[in-house]
Amino acid sequence: MPNAILDPTGTTAKATARAAPRAPRPASLRGKRVGLLINTKRNARPFLTELGRLLRESYDVTLTERTKVNFAVPEPEDVIKDLAAEADVIVTGVGDCGSCSAAAAADGVVFEAAGLPVAVIVTDSFRATADAMAELRGAPGFGYATTAHPVAVLTEDQVKQRAAEVLDDVVALLTS
Amino acid sequence: MTETAPEPHEAPGSGKAPDPDEAQRAIEYCYDQGWSDGLPLVPASGPLVDRFLATTDRDPEEIIGSLEQVGRDCTVRTAAINAAMAGCEPGYFPVVLAAFEALMRERAARGGGFQSTSGPAPLIVVNGPVRQELGFNTGGGAFGPGFRPNATIPRAIGLIVRNAFGIHPHVLEQATQGVPGRWSICVAENEEESPWEPFSVDGGVPAPASAVSVMLTRTCEFIDNRHTPDHADVLRDIADSVGRLGPQIFPRTPVALVLCPEHAQMFAAAGLSKSDVQHWLIEHSGRTADQLRSAGKGNVVAAGEDFHRVLSEPRQIPVIVAGAPTAAISMVVRIFGEWSGTAVQVGKKT
Repeated sequence: MPNAILDPTGTTAKATARAAPRAPRPASLRGKRVGLLINTKRNARPFLTELGRLLRESYDVTLTERTKVNFAVPEPEDVIKDLAAEADVIVTGVGDCGSCSAAAAADGVVFEAAGLPVAVIVTDSFRATADAMAELRGAPGFGYATTAHPVAVLTEDQVKQRAAEVLDDVVALLTS
Repeated sequence: MTETAPEPHEAPGSGKAPDPDEAQRAIEYCYDQGWSDGLPLVPASGPLVDRFLATTDRDPEEIIGSLEQVGRDCTVRTAAINAAMAGCEPGYFPVVLAAFEALMRERAARGGGFQSTSGPAPLIVVNGPVRQELGFNTGGGAFGPGFRPNATIPRAIGLIVRNAFGIHPHVLEQATQGVPGRWSICVAENEEESPWEPFSVDGGVPAPASAVSVMLTRTCEFIDNRHTPDHADVLRDIADSVGRLGPQIFPRTPVALVLCPEHAQMFAAAGLSKSDVQHWLIEHSGRTADQLRSAGKGNVVAAGEDFHRVLSEPRQIPVIVAGAPTAAISMVVRIFGEWSGTAVQVGKKT
């Protein structure tokens, strides 16, 4: 009987995370409280601020803003809880790098599990890493919105244009 | 080394050469599982991995590193399997463990660095008698290749990140271009031809203990300055590369300075300590505010600053001596984030 070739991954079987729950969606955003979780990447703040402005204009939402503690890793639980207490739905981004796109997806899964519909925004270069992180967190097929890469080099007007372009996708992600 | 078990290249008891066809099938099996970094792996068996585990007192199930964002841990046993697959000898394993511990002390390594578009590479620096005991290259060609411990120990670290942490290229690993030499840079300091104390002493491990220091890096840039008799010329030349615009995205831009023996000895002969070299470079390495603004990097310039220094303290410019006394060629190695400033002593089996 020859020796087995050992597995270097440290996982006994293909690790299948517990399926993460998805929050129920409201029919409309009208009058809802929107939490903006800004990841500090260049142009993320004006992007989400403009998106918030458009949501307020169209749906009369109220806005709460938070800044991510560290864009590269998932947000600490207490920050998530705080924001969850002050909002009905969440918009977060903009994931435009390896670690921050994965972290945005991970945050999204946690918000959904806490009962809050979330719209994660990443640039289209980082679909693979957002998908992989969502799957790792038990949410394969997790839906998010994309905008063309790059975002960091855009002018103020271009950022506003991008926010307007992604608005419909964000609303669709947050409502039933 | 005190190995008594048969070497893996010997077919135990047979006295015959191993079966190449079987070896190839085993190598292809490892590729098929997605475990390889692209190069062939040594298929790890229980008996081989037991020889790795026998070099340490640590519990095989002890967790030696976690990557919280992906929910993955690495145990001593998993590290041993990856080290075996990387081509390490069992006797290298205490160095692998020290290197991994040193790496995980880097804030950037814990905080998403392995997923980064920067694609950073660990620079592993080995000090002490373990260099001779295990046959590290301490001379020419310090950045490789050609020497088994120097080549396989960083590869083992890369395989741990890939396999134990599950960070695969194009998926959770998003390097735009990556760094040449990623998972292959392990420098054994040339203590014998350095005029100064071993680098591990700067990291807090007293000589002559064997120790490993690790920093994540973004690239190597050589300084070829072999014709001037004036050490100040060499310092100015180094400062130009340390202070260049390209790597600057934050107010501070640390580097490791890997001096060749000739440059190090030239500085020492001029009466400069390692600290003197560091402080001179801290003072003189940078670019003017105008130069930074002209490259779209005005954001790193502080208010009222005419000359922007890229370094502010010695920990941001660790100095290592490596290579052969064959030419006056040194290397500036750009650090990703900031070095922890600590070395990890290589564990001994009691």
